[in-house]
Amino acid sequence: MNNSKSMFPCGRSRRREFVWEMGGGFTGLALASLLAGDRFFSGRARASTSNPLNPRATQLKTKAKSCIFLMMNGAPSQVDLFDHKPELEKYSGKQLPADKEYINSGNRKVGYLTPAWRKFRPGGQSGLMISDYFPMVRNHADKLCVLNSCHTDSHAHGSALVAMNTGKTLIGRPSLGSWAVYGLGTENENLPGYVTILDKRGGPISGQPNWSSGFMPATYAGTLFRPVGDPILDLKGPRHLSRQAQRQQLDLLAELNQRHLSARPGAADLASRISSYELAYRMQSATPEAVDLAQESRQTLDLYGIGKQPTDEYGRNCLIARRLVERGVRFIQLYSGGGHLEETWDAHAGIESNHGRHGAEVDQPISALLTDLEQRGLLEETLVVWGGEFGRMPFSEGKNAPGRNHNPYGFSMWLAGGGVKGGIKYGETDEFGFESMTNKVHLHDLHATILHLMGLDHETLTYFHQGRDESLTDVGGNVIGDVLA
Amino acid sequence: MPLARNLLLYLLATLIAPTVIAVDFERDVAPIFITRCLECHQGSEPSGGLLLTSEAGLSKGGKSGDAIREKLLERVRAGEMPPEKQGRSQRLPAKEIAVLERWIEAGANWPDQRTLDWFERTTRYRAGRDWWSLQPIKRPEAPSVKISGNAVHPIDAFVMNKLQQAGMKPAPRANKRVLLRRLHYSLTGLSPTREQLDQFVADDSPKAWENAIEELLASPHYGERWARYWLDIARFAETSGYERDQEKPYAWRYRDWVVKAFNDDMPFRRFILEQLAGDEIDARSEQSVVATGFLRLGAWNDEPNIPADYEYDRLEDIVHTTSSAFLGLTVKCARCHNHKFDPILQEDYYRMGSAFWPGPIAARSGGLLGGPTTNELGYDKVLGWTDISAKPRPLHLLKNGERLHPRKQVAPASLSSIPSLERRFDPPPDGAKTTGRRLQLAKWIADPDNPLTARVLVNRIWQHHFGRAIVRTPNNFGFLADPPTHPDLLDWLAAEFLSSGGSIKHLHRLILRSETWRQSSLHPQREEYSVRDSGNRLWWRAERRRLDAEALRDSMLQATAELDLTLGGPSFKPTISPEALEGLSRKSSAWKASPVEKQNRRSLYIYMKRGLLPPMMTTFDLCDTTLSCGERDVTTVPTQALALLNNAFVHRRSEYLAGKLTDDFATAEERIEQAWTSILKREPKRDELLLAHRHLNVQRDAFDRQAGVDALAPKMSMHLRADQAKTRRNEGQVESITDISGNGRHAFQKREDRQPVLNPNGFGGRPTIEFSKRDYLDVNGSPMKGQYATIICVANDHGPPGHREIISNWRRGENVGSSVFLGLTAENTVRFCDVFNKAGTIPNRDRPFILTAVNGEHLAAVYHNGRLLKSQSNPLRTRKLDTPWVIGQQGNINGEFWQGGIAEIRVYDGALDRHERRTVERELAERYEIELPDAHSGKKRSSEFLALASLCHVLLNSNEFIFID
Repeated sequence: MNNSKSMFPCGRSRRREFVWEMGGGFTGLALASLLAGDRFFSGRARASTSNPLNPRATQLKTKAKSCIFLMMNGAPSQVDLFDHKPELEKYSGKQLPADKEYINSGNRKVGYLTPAWRKFRPGGQSGLMISDYFPMVRNHADKLCVLNSCHTDSHAHGSALVAMNTGKTLIGRPSLGSWAVYGLGTENENLPGYVTILDKRGGPISGQPNWSSGFMPATYAGTLFRPVGDPILDLKGPRHLSRQAQRQQLDLLAELNQRHLSARPGAADLASRISSYELAYRMQSATPEAVDLAQESRQTLDLYGIGKQPTDEYGRNCLIARRLVERGVRFIQLYSGGGHLEETWDAHAGIESNHGRHGAEVDQPISALLTDLEQRGLLEETLVVWGGEFGRMPFSEGKNAPGRNHNPYGFSMWLAGGGVKGGIKYGETDEFGFESMTNKVHLHDLHATILHLMGLDHETLTYFHQGRDESLTDVGGNVIGDVLA
Repeated sequence: MPLARNLLLYLLATLIAPTVIAVDFERDVAPIFITRCLECHQGSEPSGGLLLTSEAGLSKGGKSGDAIREKLLERVRAGEMPPEKQGRSQRLPAKEIAVLERWIEAGANWPDQRTLDWFERTTRYRAGRDWWSLQPIKRPEAPSVKISGNAVHPIDAFVMNKLQQAGMKPAPRANKRVLLRRLHYSLTGLSPTREQLDQFVADDSPKAWENAIEELLASPHYGERWARYWLDIARFAETSGYERDQEKPYAWRYRDWVVKAFNDDMPFRRFILEQLAGDEIDARSEQSVVATGFLRLGAWNDEPNIPADYEYDRLEDIVHTTSSAFLGLTVKCARCHNHKFDPILQEDYYRMGSAFWPGPIAARSGGLLGGPTTNELGYDKVLGWTDISAKPRPLHLLKNGERLHPRKQVAPASLSSIPSLERRFDPPPDGAKTTGRRLQLAKWIADPDNPLTARVLVNRIWQHHFGRAIVRTPNNFGFLADPPTHPDLLDWLAAEFLSSGGSIKHLHRLILRSETWRQSSLHPQREEYSVRDSGNRLWWRAERRRLDAEALRDSMLQATAELDLTLGGPSFKPTISPEALEGLSRKSSAWKASPVEKQNRRSLYIYMKRGLLPPMMTTFDLCDTTLSCGERDVTTVPTQALALLNNAFVHRRSEYLAGKLTDDFATAEERIEQAWTSILKREPKRDELLLAHRHLNVQRDAFDRQAGVDALAPKMSMHLRADQAKTRRNEGQVESITDISGNGRHAFQKREDRQPVLNPNGFGGRPTIEFSKRDYLDVNGSPMKGQYATIICVANDHGPPGHREIISNWRRGENVGSSVFLGLTAENTVRFCDVFNKAGTIPNRDRPFILTAVNGEHLAAVYHNGRLLKSQSNPLRTRKLDTPWVIGQQGNINGEFWQGGIAEIRVYDGALDRHERRTVERELAERYEIELPDAHSGKKRSSEFLALASLCHVLLNSNEFIFID
């Protein structure tokens, strides 16, 4: 509990009062949709109001319309990437002072303080220090707002990933993207509002709960998008059913459904199901179009490193993210790293081997994404978030051991575009890069800030569930005012 | 006008009132203290040290020590008290300030011994102990309403009464077809057959309805339907969740226990006692301990950040599930502080928690998955719960719920919310193995005088029969609950339920015999009524309902007569497309689908894995399994349409039904009629018949046009067929076979003594190449372009015992353990590379057969005549493709020679999908007159067949099929 708010945070008021309080900020339609999604109101009202994904006016006047979350699954090492700690050179080979307490995740060997495995250099006008694992991202230093003082609530991947995505270490809550879509709807009804693209090597630990809508309707859950082939499940039927043959089916279905409906006048539920088929039919062409990179110029493909290794996969994902942003998708999460251990950023076996590999996979694509968004004038309205579920220890896993263990006490993330100040650092870890010391950023603060940048107030964006107005940040979280442009 | 009136009131309150009305403490002052001040100024640690519950507290004042009454007034006037909340002023209305002023002016009289209690009464902001749901159930008299004709069912009397008061009329009774269909779904989740419907419509006997109800209540499928609702409430799943998402063995036995409890109409008291304390009851049995699985079903993290904190999270899971399920109270909200809205003290949370605290809640060996040992539980192969000590660690109330700030030790007891029932739990007798706390808690919950238990239960039963409950928030009967639409009816049902000894079947009978339930979902005055009562809170018509995820899937299988109605036992894992498995961190190992023949069971038996709930089910609003769910969402989204339009499961159903109809009926008319009968349980109308005919014709023509194109030909990387063989001097010895795929992978044999022989009249009258002794062929280059490929051969075998190969690139010293080969072993089992080295025997191997080997990203498998022999859901380890390939022996060993005919070998680049593979296998089967074992697969998928499948598919997507009127 890192703030000084009411010690009685649970639930704020009866729902009706909430509605009254919020009245000014929402359009009538948005209000109706918001209420429709709420269990306080009857399911009938829910069924007969408009699509829960309809776009809604923002609560706040801010810039970001979309968010791209670059999820470095496995936890990248802050002292090797974005948290420059020259002092580690001095302490190299010494142990972390005994008064620094921590949980030794997985009971691994505790070794010695180890300086960054690659050199840090200043980037851009701002001179932000970024290491040689991200030489191309460094060229965008003036766009980045690096949060060096992040901390989180778990040292284990499974629960920390869930926390980074949903605010709590316990599974079962809606994820950040679900909150965004619940609050804002989507601007393109032919595409899902919230898209998750996984690394080909596998999903994140804990799986589905990472993009779940928890206790909200499944409408708000992340939709897994595959970067090649059909982007979403069940987009195509069997081969022999061509688009024309399927049109025949839909026409017959519409005829039968229309007869059924005409004997049941005023049945909004039946009517909305009829229209959902037309929407589905359009999605079948709109979604493959959104991931069809053949429409992109050679120059663009080259910019992202598509068609060459090791950048091809993440390059594609980043380019798809840009295309989705252009098409009004609200929230996109791109995983780098999948499965377990070295297939992710989980660099127990060696920072150089692991981060060298994964950094090379994502550096050019991320740099290209920032360039491309800026060139198209999209960066202003697109918030880019980079980070993992926690950080890594400044010490090794044994004498001369090349890897580092988990560290939830201090780590770095960065934001770019979407109304954040560029070229700044916010917050600090101690001299070792071990724990967050000044201007600490808890993941609730990060979430509050992301929502804020997207025009949502994390305190009033609530969903009534089992007697309580639930929110993403629960009882914690403050918007980090200093990073807002 | 309102402004003027407010002004007037203000004047009245501030100027006139003091002179004419004396302030009364009970009437005027106490409510202000209770509503405005006590939230903070009460308890053992009142805010600012100021206790406002008693005169003594008021007189003593706070830490600041000022003359408290004046100070209080000053701060209230200044708007400092109550303090602002979340940036909003909580300043008291002028009227309330005036009351306090006058009270203090008049000497601040506080009645002797009067102690204020924050919970004593309901205020604008929260519920007190006088809250309606906490009051005793008094059986109300059914109102007398006038309805022409027969005696009025009490349920109808309650509903009619309110409708009449509103000047509204109920909808007419639904027709008999609608009623029987609704009844079947309501009680069993399955559809009636057309025969059952026709019979019921024709049955004019007065007992027909009662008989139908009784018949279904006696069906074992009744329990399957109603168990599912309870499983949602019990947050049922069969794995732990989180990183490893381990299976919780025997969770399915709990599911079966619930099914049986419903089928046996277990008295509700026992239903409660066994689930919470089946290990503590006198009649303890293996089954009653299985029931304690209720406490074991939650998600469980084997690697919590701080294990000592995680104990409290687990405690919350169990307290929350128990209190939501049985009491409709959100007790968990009191973990950190007194409940914000309901009369639940923080201590109450810990009192209830103390019942579960003696269980295996602390971190222990991971293998126990958060449960007791077999020894502690007393039963093997049971997922159950028991205390691990009769003298457990004390449980302390935690300030703000924080473990490091323990306050007083909490004595095990019931909740205090219902003072007349409040009781401490007795300590266990000497020598007891458990604390007996759960049994006492269970008995407290099951006490007939506990008004919540029966109200919550009857509300749930009503909810599932009507689509909406009387209290529309079924897991919450507190202040934030929706008020009951018919409070008297709720109490009448609860009283009936109690006097029946807690019989749920009795409730079903009551409800289903009412006219209210039998109303039509259509109403002649719909337009007017839906404005007056859009939420249908007065029950002026029935709610039309969409089939839920389970009923939808079951109904599809039922429509095609594929549904396997086997009861109980371990769950099955449905096939989940590789695309949908991508979310798992361990893609290949995490999901092994059950054999296809086990997959047509009811949806209740689908294996519930927390990390991977079946996408088809979640799309149709299967609820999350982490928290108790009293009511599922009902959404209508395009992804549902996509699933029904495109998912392979639905297409398999339509094609299966089309196959059956093609087999059993000769004419298009009959097939159309039977499609309507199977899916919609009625015959098609004339215009529908015409539409269906037109659809069949248009689709057949479209499929005909497509069939000319062999869509798969471009994928072939090698195609050797015996009729392409060139023989030496036309005497039969094969010198070469041209690769007709156009890739130049010709086969040849230059050594005359090793050339196989062409048999022009081999399989089904078509040519084969006969290999005997030491015959073989070399291949020009690699038939496989990449790692993923499909090899399909047509051959027969009269080989002697010993390995023998059809095709191979094995090479000593270069390609051991990474080569590709397909053949038979000495035991006459199929082998494909060294991975599937004993994939299963093949019957009648001297007759021609088709062998298919697939290596793909998500599936490597071997099939015999289209029948799966063996598979794995990940690709083979990387194969080395560049060593020389041969046909008819094992690589370069000069041995393991094929002894038999080979008619054709096809290699496709990439793994063919199921449909593609079947297409090729069927084509080959037809060509070489091989019978495929699958009943319908041998049938040519003619355009006519596909058109019929298309029609069935449309019907399975129709609103008529998916909605219940």
